[in-house]
Amino acid sequence: MEKFPLKRTSSSSQSSISYQSVGKKYTNGHHTSEDPHNLSTGRPLSDDEMIDIQTSNGDHLRHHNRLEDEDGISHYSVSYGGTTDTTTDIPGIGQYDDFHTIDWQRDIARDRMRHRHIVKKKQDSLWNLIEGAHDAWSGWLCVLLVGLCTGAVAGVIDIGASWMTDLKFGICQQAFWFNREQCCWSNETSFETGNCSQWLTWSEVLGQAKTGAGPYIISYLFYTTWALLFAALSASLVRMFAPYACGSGIPEIKTILSGFIIRGYLGKWTLLIKSVGLILSVSAGLSLGKEGPMVHIACAIGNILSYLFPKYGRNEAKKREILSASAAAGVSVAFGAPIGGVLFSLEEVSYYFPLKTLWRSFFCALIAAFILRSINPFGNEHSVLFYVQYNKPWIFFELIPFIALGVIGGVIATIFIKANLYWCRFRKYSKLGQYPVTEVLVVTALTALIAYPNPYTRMNTSELIYLLFSQCGIANSDPICDYNRNFTNVKSAIDLAEAGPGVYKAIWLLIVALILKLIMTIFTFGMKVPCGLFIPSLCLGAIVGRIVGIFMEQLAYNYPKNWFFSGEFSSGGDCITPGLYAMVGAAAVLGGVTRMTVSLVVIMFELTGGVRYIVPLMAAAMASKWVGDALGRQGIYDAHIALNGYPFLDSKDEFQHTSLAADVMQPKRNETLNVITQDSMTVDDIEALLKDTEHNGYPVVVSRDSQYLVGFVLRKDLNLAIANAKRMVDGICGQSLVLFTSGNPPQTLGPPPLKLKKILDMAPITITDQTPMETVVDMFRKLGLRQTLVTHNGRLLGVITKKDVLRHIKQMDNEDPNSVLFN
Amino acid sequence: MKHLWISLCVLFVFAESQAQFDDKRCKCICPSLSSVTNKTDDKTHTERLIKTTNDPPNKCNCEVVMLAVVADKLNEGEMREFCPRCNCKYENRNTTIIRYVVIIVIWVISILVVYMLFLIILDPLLNKRVKGNYQEHTNEEEDSQPGPMSHNMSMRGNVLNRVSTQQDKWKRQVKEQRRNIYDRHTMLN
Repeated sequence: MEKFPLKRTSSSSQSSISYQSVGKKYTNGHHTSEDPHNLSTGRPLSDDEMIDIQTSNGDHLRHHNRLEDEDGISHYSVSYGGTTDTTTDIPGIGQYDDFHTIDWQRDIARDRMRHRHIVKKKQDSLWNLIEGAHDAWSGWLCVLLVGLCTGAVAGVIDIGASWMTDLKFGICQQAFWFNREQCCWSNETSFETGNCSQWLTWSEVLGQAKTGAGPYIISYLFYTTWALLFAALSASLVRMFAPYACGSGIPEIKTILSGFIIRGYLGKWTLLIKSVGLILSVSAGLSLGKEGPMVHIACAIGNILSYLFPKYGRNEAKKREILSASAAAGVSVAFGAPIGGVLFSLEEVSYYFPLKTLWRSFFCALIAAFILRSINPFGNEHSVLFYVQYNKPWIFFELIPFIALGVIGGVIATIFIKANLYWCRFRKYSKLGQYPVTEVLVVTALTALIAYPNPYTRMNTSELIYLLFSQCGIANSDPICDYNRNFTNVKSAIDLAEAGPGVYKAIWLLIVALILKLIMTIFTFGMKVPCGLFIPSLCLGAIVGRIVGIFMEQLAYNYPKNWFFSGEFSSGGDCITPGLYAMVGAAAVLGGVTRMTVSLVVIMFELTGGVRYIVPLMAAAMASKWVGDALGRQGIYDAHIALNGYPFLDSKDEFQHTSLAADVMQPKRNETLNVITQDSMTVDDIEALLKDTEHNGYPVVVSRDSQYLVGFVLRKDLNLAIANAKRMVDGICGQSLVLFTSGNPPQTLGPPPLKLKKILDMAPITITDQTPMETVVDMFRKLGLRQTLVTHNGRLLGVITKKDVLRHIKQMDNEDPNSVLFN
Repeated sequence: MKHLWISLCVLFVFAESQAQFDDKRCKCICPSLSSVTNKTDDKTHTERLIKTTNDPPNKCNCEVVMLAVVADKLNEGEMREFCPRCNCKYENRNTTIIRYVVIIVIWVISILVVYMLFLIILDPLLNKRVKGNYQEHTNEEEDSQPGPMSHNMSMRGNVLNRVSTQQDKWKRQVKEQRRNIYDRHTMLN
């Protein structure tokens, strides 16, 4: 014990020195001007002398840096290997293993240090100045490239998917690369829409007639065969090349952005297979959409491109800034809604979202939307197929059906989430999970066989949404627009009219379609093909909304003088738009499923291009969220995160229990804490410790008896540093002392000591054992900690990791704490 | 039937020489003429008149586009009544992009399928042969194994070796991913 007070005094004197040097550093500007050398030369200087002085100043500064580093006051420079010329860089320091949580504080500190280094070196030469400038704009350059690539990839997916979807029905005779719409782009005058001579259905290709029983069966067969082929290709490509490409990807992106490493999840193969598989699975006619996976694709692009810029590629915390911007670009191209994309990134996926990232996301989303818009994949001057434009007013009374739609949407969403979760859990724990490709094929076959007879399920889901959103006008010949209209009123082409028999038939078909789509989507979402959820849920909501809208419309037509319409329709003008109801219903179901609010409303009104409908959309989204939250706590993405046991600490939930840090920390009673002492352990001791325990990091203390905390060292860094030292430094053997101190070791006769101070984190976040868990959880959320050290009376008592916190939350919520799987 | 089909084909080939796949169009959809001429007709609301031209956007309106079709059937008063009910839209597209994108997509899918078939069918056969030769080496020292091998064969195919080691690395990663997802079900359920 006698040694330690001495030790402490010496270390405290060191720290007092280092504080002085910090002070010096901050007053560097004044300090140099007080430099006697500078003063003696006087004011008027020749150029040569100026240069001379500047270089000497540079030396001066550098000298200070070195001093600081040797004193080790800033642990940042310690954890960042390449900052100074004196420290040698150990490869791999600062990287993380697969399925590990990142330490945001450490990574951001590393970047700050790197930035400071670049700023400092800026004065040295022109090249360094250019380097500094490149560093400053590399973030913007990176998101620009991400935007460009995302827009281009989205264009390819849109064009490819729309072509391949129509391939199920037929082929364009002279230009096989056109879909039906493009094939009949410029047909001649006709009295019927279906009359397009270039487009051949498969029965026509086989030399049959266009209509009749035989051609119907042939078309049915072709439809099913193509669907099966596409689905089989998609599932087997995913299985063969990139299993990570399956699913929607948004739960995983959320987890990754919250600071988790999944190696290969955003890799090149995942990107390629996800894009190709998405085209195939959308074309297979499965009840899924390409909008959700677009976020994953954009994030993969962001990840790949961030490796062009070491600032982002080598620093996981900084990389997540790019990924946030990429997620925004993904939604931006999926819905043609740049602002909605930014808000989606902010509200739904991102965890750490500073203002700088907001602007970059905005820029990235803008570029991506612009590129997709220039590619013009649908030939309608917009980035989505179901863009509609309304300019119809709505009356106050209509808020009641809108809120009712919100409630219905919330209920449908809850049914969907519960059922889908049940099915996914069943798949996870039963034998079904062993036959992923077979499952896809069976679901596809059933979907195709059931979907074909009903025209509303047969058509592409995006087209169905477009049909439901759009107004009945002269351009719309679907039975859903079979109103008894005579186009004699010159002023307005569309007015309130009695529904014809076609409308009622369409409603029945739509109800059937609603039930089928709901069931099919429950079974589809979570299959091992790329599949998104936005389009099916929009479609479900749009069907409900359209039916309610037609009902309201007929009500207004039959009872125009009723009090709640307050006589607004008696003039005979157009008033109730079923398409608007469809849109509100779509927003309601999507809002209920994903629990988005702000971003959803913005996406929807960017889709319609009308600010007028914000209030109805807000009302529906809010009602749906309330109903959804009341019936089931989690949105689909959070539910899937919980199902998979990802270490995601939701910043939306509140921690409401009264436990203390001492209850949560490891080790529990009767166990010992594994620590490393700062200057008395040998390499062999440490290797034995690494072998016996599996912790991801070890606290470093002054001695085992005193347990005074010195710092924290990561397992990976220790491994790397020891391996590196054994390779590079002569004389390091099992008996070498491992030193985490900076002073010279006492003269011993043994082998040379191994100095590992530079891998030591000297500023770990510490709390006392009486800290309430609310505070601890908040620290983990807001600071993005990986672990925190618990002290009592200044002595180290234990460690709390993110996993401990997650398990504790689960335990407090009466859930199985073992469902948290990863570190 | 077959003759008709062939003749249709021939007709299309000739028709294509005209501006068949334009990048621009102006499409007008109008109700049938009977809605204006007051002839009683049962199917007034379904029958429609569609005309597509490649007029510039500023001329994409009913008066210009539909004039040629209806000029001899409607008088001026009826024309003024007819046109507000029409829906004219100017649209453009890029046929070249569509063409190349679709061709690229087909290519990429075919290459992936061929590669997949190769990996499923041929690769196990090839690997079995290689494994037979190096059976003693395939124990725990997987990382050190490519080292001496590449040194030995560095004269012959350095690039080829690097490619194959990369491929092995990638295959291991994919196998790991497959184990996570399909066997252990720890992810992406």
